[in-house]
Amino acid sequence: MSYSDTWLVVPVYNEAEVLGEVVSEALQTFPNIVCVDDGSRDDSARIALNSGAHLVRHPVNLGQGAALQTGVEYARSRPGANYFVTFDSDGQHQVADVERMIDKLRADEADIIVGTRFHGDTSHIPWTKRLLLRTIVALSPQLRTLQLSDAHNGLRAFNRTVGEQFTITHNGMGHASEIIAMVRRYGWRVTESPVTIAYTEYSMAKGQSLLNGVNILFESLLRTSFRR
Amino acid sequence: MLIQYILILGVVLLLVLFLRHHGTSRTAAWVKVGFVLFVVFSVFAVLRPDTVSVLAQFLGVGRGTDLLIYVIAVGFAFTSINTYLRFKELEGRYAQLARAIALRDSRVPEHTAAAGRECGSDDG
Repeated sequence: MSYSDTWLVVPVYNEAEVLGEVVSEALQTFPNIVCVDDGSRDDSARIALNSGAHLVRHPVNLGQGAALQTGVEYARSRPGANYFVTFDSDGQHQVADVERMIDKLRADEADIIVGTRFHGDTSHIPWTKRLLLRTIVALSPQLRTLQLSDAHNGLRAFNRTVGEQFTITHNGMGHASEIIAMVRRYGWRVTESPVTIAYTEYSMAKGQSLLNGVNILFESLLRTSFRR
Repeated sequence: MLIQYILILGVVLLLVLFLRHHGTSRTAAWVKVGFVLFVVFSVFAVLRPDTVSVLAQFLGVGRGTDLLIYVIAVGFAFTSINTYLRFKELEGRYAQLARAIALRDSRVPEHTAAAGRECGSDDG
């Protein structure tokens, strides 16, 4: 099946080491990839362009949420874009999982599909990470109502309706909770799809630390309590 | 004690004020009024510490100095919230600016650009 109507949005921040490989591999299935270079200091931008991805470049570092928003805005302005995927640049996501998610979107099963690590065997996930993610879910009434088990999974796929309404205002890592808030506000049909995360040494070193979880918790609590 | 109610009420009011009416000119005006009141009170407290002590006793606080500390504490909380919200707003505008520049200077990969020139479209 051709995926010429699908855009992969890849936020990039200092990922020169693995980016080329990640993009080349994904390009074999998905012809449209936009890398959003979030003010990297290394060679990420050139590598992204050379590997065949579209490139938009923040002149300064803003954060992952801002990068996602920029990427989605770029992708939705391209002709023929119907499906959008947020995809991490460190190689932890699998192309096969994305294919499955897009097929579900094509079947019109949902407007937005969020990847989840918590289906089946979860023993490969580091326990600290498991505990953190579980706590976030337990503390968020929104996630419980929507029956989502893993809101902070970077792999998400959504259709044009969601793509048009997509507005992340939180620049940093709080965007996951913001997306969930949007699901409620706009009444998108949301569902989960099991995905495998490759916890390589590289992604572990780069990934969110446990301490950053405190930031996320604080931001999401603030958002739930005081809606501006 | 009276002061407890006043302090709690003050903090709650400030929170509501900023979380609901932030960024409007009305809020900005209230901030200025609050600041002027604070200055007047401070000068008064320096000149007539005894009167402040009487006021403090009436409110259920021991000394005038303690009352002043309470007022400063609330004022500090108020400033912190204000600064926090202001930074958030600024951050949002900053992001919009950076995004506009990023989108304007976007680059398509070589092969797509070439195909686009030939067929006038880049999807199959």
